[in-house]
Amino acid sequence: MEAAHVRTGDVLIVTPIGRVDESTWKEFDDHLATGVLQASRESLAKLIIDLSRIDYMSSRGLRALTMAKHQAQAVDVEIRLAAPNDVMREILAISRYDRLFPIDDALPVGGGGGA
Amino acid sequence: MTDQRAADPVAVRFWGTRGTLPVATTAGQVRSKIVNVLMSASGKSFSNLEEANRFIDHELYFAAGASYGGATSCVEIDCGQDAFFICDMGSGLQGFGRDATLQCRLGRPKKYNFFLSHMHWDHIMGFPSFLPAFDPGSEIVIHACHGDAEQALRRQQDEMFFPDAFDSWAASIRFVTLEPGEEAEVDGLHVVTMRQHHPHESFGYRFRDRAGRTMVYSTDSEHNIDDMDKEAAFVGFFEDADLVICDTMYSLAEASSTKEHRGHSSNVVAIDLCHQARAKRLALFHHDPFHDDEVIQRLHDDSIRYESLTRDGAPLEVLCAYDGLEVVL
Repeated sequence: MEAAHVRTGDVLIVTPIGRVDESTWKEFDDHLATGVLQASRESLAKLIIDLSRIDYMSSRGLRALTMAKHQAQAVDVEIRLAAPNDVMREILAISRYDRLFPIDDALPVGGGGGA
Repeated sequence: MTDQRAADPVAVRFWGTRGTLPVATTAGQVRSKIVNVLMSASGKSFSNLEEANRFIDHELYFAAGASYGGATSCVEIDCGQDAFFICDMGSGLQGFGRDATLQCRLGRPKKYNFFLSHMHWDHIMGFPSFLPAFDPGSEIVIHACHGDAEQALRRQQDEMFFPDAFDSWAASIRFVTLEPGEEAEVDGLHVVTMRQHHPHESFGYRFRDRAGRTMVYSTDSEHNIDDMDKEAAFVGFFEDADLVICDTMYSLAEASSTKEHRGHSSNVVAIDLCHQARAKRLALFHHDPFHDDEVIQRLHDDSIRYESLTRDGAPLEVLCAYDGLEVVL
């Protein structure tokens, strides 16, 4: 699984690409951990996980989001989710993860990254 | 194999499906259901009971015309006319005990094989009211991986908690301690156990009958967020099962945040594990006592949707266990 880490102003945007399932969740988890570390090192207050290029996410990916949240809270970084497709939006609602994370419909202006 | 299955079906009967604490539907909740059904039936007429039942079956969703019930964990595996097999002794055991007593009056042997997931109260509280225990002709064999199972059952009948002492039961009662992972044969049913994550530990059971039908009972099992590699073992334990009964007490968000380390799992994780294991049916089980019928129905609907969104192979049928549900394998 690939991912881009792009800094936009005082925000770091992580854009993973593909499916997050049993075979890819560890890479996804690594990308998120790298993002939290980078945001902390650069003293950024906010990390946005751009979901626009995630097709689907199983429970392992969702739980990787929770682990990233724990890591981010320890270094005072806020995590937000952004731009989920319709499937991802449903999965976030079914798992009630829409109550754990703030979810923005779109990335901030000027945000978004390729890989 | 197909012929043997058809000629000798196995029925899995849910006598108690709730977790933690028994609950009962209140008068207000019943009234609310009646009002909603009357509104749904507005303008319709039913000339006989059959038409009324057809309306309930085809035009009402489950929670509108029924209830998931409130008895705690107790599941019977009915393999026919010989010994009984029962997973856990929650408050649902009382109903099973009455039913079994009637069957024994008609000639069924009074042999009861119990398999205990663990000793928490909601899983043993039915035993002091188990009618066959009063019968000197009953033989009760309690299988558990916990070496302290007997101590737990005796303790809950200390006179501080219950008027009748364990030793006052007329039935013959013995305990069999199973080793986790050990395979055993109990009155024709093949059994293997698996250690699960839960306070004071719990154990899952995988049963296989002579016709090769498999059923997994995996309740009170937390799949920890920081130890997801362990889930491969559960995928193996659930592999190709005809029915997997899973603890789905919380949403994934709850299980991984406010309810973490309470020893329970979610519908979403259960579906993922069953998908990987190529199980055929999943029964959502051990419902949260704080959830009313509407909430459980929504959880079931959400689970069916999640299964379809994440399916990458054969469909998994997602059932929602309720007190009285019977699944024929």
